[in-house]
Amino acid sequence: MTDTSAPTRIRPAVTKPFDGWRWSGRFFLVLLLIFTVMPMAWMLITSLKTGFAAMQYPPQWWPAEPTLENYTRLLDPRNAIGQDFLGYFWNSMWVSTATTVMAVIVAVPAAYAFSRFRFPGRTFLFFAVLLRNMFPAIVFLVPLFILMRLLGLVNTHGSLILTYLTFGLPLAIWLLKGFYDNIPIQLEQAARIDGATRFQAFFFIVMPLSTPGIIATAIYSFIGAWNEYIYAYTFLTKHDQMTLPVGIQRFFSENATDWPGLMAATFMMSVPVVVLFLVLQKYFVQALTEGAVKH
Amino acid sequence: MTNSHDRAKRSGSPARGQVVARMIATATAASLMSTTVYAQAVDLSQWSPEYIRSIAGTATYDTAADCGAVVPNDYAGKVSYWYTGPFEADPQIAHDQDKAFWEAFKAAYPNIETDVQSITYNELLDKFRTALLGNAAPMVVRLQILGGVEFAAKGYLNPLAPEDVGYASADFWPGALKSVTWDGTGYGIPTNNETMAFIWNAKIFADAGLDPERPPATWDDVVAYSAQIHEKLGIAGYGLVAKQNAGNTPFRFMPTLWAYGGGALDETAAEPTYDTIELNNEGSIAALQAAYDMYVRDQSVPTSALTNTQAENQGPFIAGQLAMMIAHPAEYAKMVDLASKATGADKEVADAVVENMRYGLIPEGPARRAVVFGGSNIHVVKPEYVDGGAIDEQAVKALICMWTSPEWSTKLAWVGSNPGHLGGFKTEWMKERLDTIKFLDVTTSMLPNGIPFPVLPEAPEIMNIIVPDMLQNALTGTMTVEEAANDAAAKVEELRSGM
Repeated sequence: MTDTSAPTRIRPAVTKPFDGWRWSGRFFLVLLLIFTVMPMAWMLITSLKTGFAAMQYPPQWWPAEPTLENYTRLLDPRNAIGQDFLGYFWNSMWVSTATTVMAVIVAVPAAYAFSRFRFPGRTFLFFAVLLRNMFPAIVFLVPLFILMRLLGLVNTHGSLILTYLTFGLPLAIWLLKGFYDNIPIQLEQAARIDGATRFQAFFFIVMPLSTPGIIATAIYSFIGAWNEYIYAYTFLTKHDQMTLPVGIQRFFSENATDWPGLMAATFMMSVPVVVLFLVLQKYFVQALTEGAVKH
Repeated sequence: MTNSHDRAKRSGSPARGQVVARMIATATAASLMSTTVYAQAVDLSQWSPEYIRSIAGTATYDTAADCGAVVPNDYAGKVSYWYTGPFEADPQIAHDQDKAFWEAFKAAYPNIETDVQSITYNELLDKFRTALLGNAAPMVVRLQILGGVEFAAKGYLNPLAPEDVGYASADFWPGALKSVTWDGTGYGIPTNNETMAFIWNAKIFADAGLDPERPPATWDDVVAYSAQIHEKLGIAGYGLVAKQNAGNTPFRFMPTLWAYGGGALDETAAEPTYDTIELNNEGSIAALQAAYDMYVRDQSVPTSALTNTQAENQGPFIAGQLAMMIAHPAEYAKMVDLASKATGADKEVADAVVENMRYGLIPEGPARRAVVFGGSNIHVVKPEYVDGGAIDEQAVKALICMWTSPEWSTKLAWVGSNPGHLGGFKTEWMKERLDTIKFLDVTTSMLPNGIPFPVLPEAPEIMNIIVPDMLQNALTGTMTVEEAANDAAAKVEELRSGM
């Protein structure tokens, strides 16, 4: 049999000169990665320990007797914490999703209006919507609580959704306006020439082009609502209405902390956000780089 | 207690029938208030571990019937209540007793509807403050010891004395009643009385050449022991806690300060006036110097003391890296609970830690032996600040009577502290506790040494901010010990003068 394969081309060995800057950069990135991942890894490891093992020193880098007990008690609706935790989870999911949907529904046309229309007071209004986000949340706590009380919304998820919109919506409008600004107006004009109404041009031309921006905005809104603590703990008192950030406080007692339970709950709380990022990251990255090149 | 019906008067003229009904209700309430369920429970002059053991189990109570004499058991009404109940880190028995209480209350008062919210210790005060501002507070609230004074001084609470729910003031520890008194009027009833103790690891003591069964007798000994332990074993001797704005920093530092003869104000006096600032007197400076000696000179306390609360000391203590600390009575129960859940090799280590744990009296100083007189109190909110704008006085009384009864003030404080009602010390449950909870008699023995924090609305700021700041200023070298003490005294002066 004859060997018909092409002769192997032997490349001369090339020794690249040591690139100090490149290796320093890589080293720095590895350090940064460790710095970023370590807390999450430690959270996961602690969640696999018993209460006693979590308090050992030197710490057990990996538990001698790993246990899933902290997770099973959180997920078992037959015990009190399991029942409550699943409730907190769904409450958070409902409040965050509702906030996100409402923020997007309102922000999309509002941002478009700020981007495309010129009207008196436009600049003032545009900055005014962001005014709310220039003050710390605590400043608005009591006034908003009194307002919610007058509206009969204390101890309802409506109080949280409305409150979260007060800081989520301005951010969403600002983010989306940046997107619309980068979509050439000529595309809409072409559609209008072809007979589309302004609404059709917006819905069929602008919206699809701004999908990454809408998704990025939605992610921001969702995470903001998902992690919010101070309003949730003030406006809600009843256990069956609490959201996750408030609910996981029950791992702190007056004189002790259930660290493994707390870590398991925190780990589970981070899962939806991580999944959201994994599923939508291509849009998120696209959104981040969209404005990099000016059209 | 103010009758909730008083409020309705403001909104319009009552009908004649309402007036008659109100008069009957008031007369009934007045007659009930004049009776007491129990006579004085114990003789405080004889207080000692032996006396406590001798009276435990000598009295029986029928709580439902006794409270039924104050509020009829068939009373129909509604009560809302906020408190800090047991949470995940608490031992199982705390959960069981809490559940048992609500079942017992339902059995005693089947027609009283309850709206009960258990709020975590760190959240309750802020949440309650906000709720008051929005007129959305519960009818009854149980607050940590000085919470009541802040709210009473601001006019949020109804006057409330033990006599209002059928008990005598003599049935409660005088220091505890002092902590709910503002401007000469009582605004709450003590539910439990906490005093801490000194715990140490006997094995570490032995390894460091100290007597494993003998705790340091004085605070000077603590400083010396801490240095010796650190020098010989390279681990932390004393679990100093100096975190800023952490409630448990003053709980651990003030006993030293008082022992040396110091004070925040004159709270150590038999009849305090709170007019004199003592944070920079000789005793306070000596106490601060002791902390400085351990942290800076000997470096024999955890370097993390500046950011530590007691919770952060538990880990090193369990791991055998910390020899001594002031701890809550529940600490032992917590350790036993953790050990019971440990598995494999961890189990052996955990059992050894529990075995080596010792409780003793908090050391003395040149002036006295002292401990913070802590605990919680139950309060009634004024109707205008309550969600719905009214309180159901009878339902409120029924709940408070049950909660502060000898039976339930004992059971609800099971692993944590002492019953608020002195009659609790005579119950079978106190006897059971003494028989089953190791070292309970030690923490209980500290009660006569208890000193309440100054009963002032400014006390939380003094204790939680100014005192920890003073420690931080001295330990970090920002100021000398004397400068830090003088600075703290000046801040208290400024605060009290309203500047």
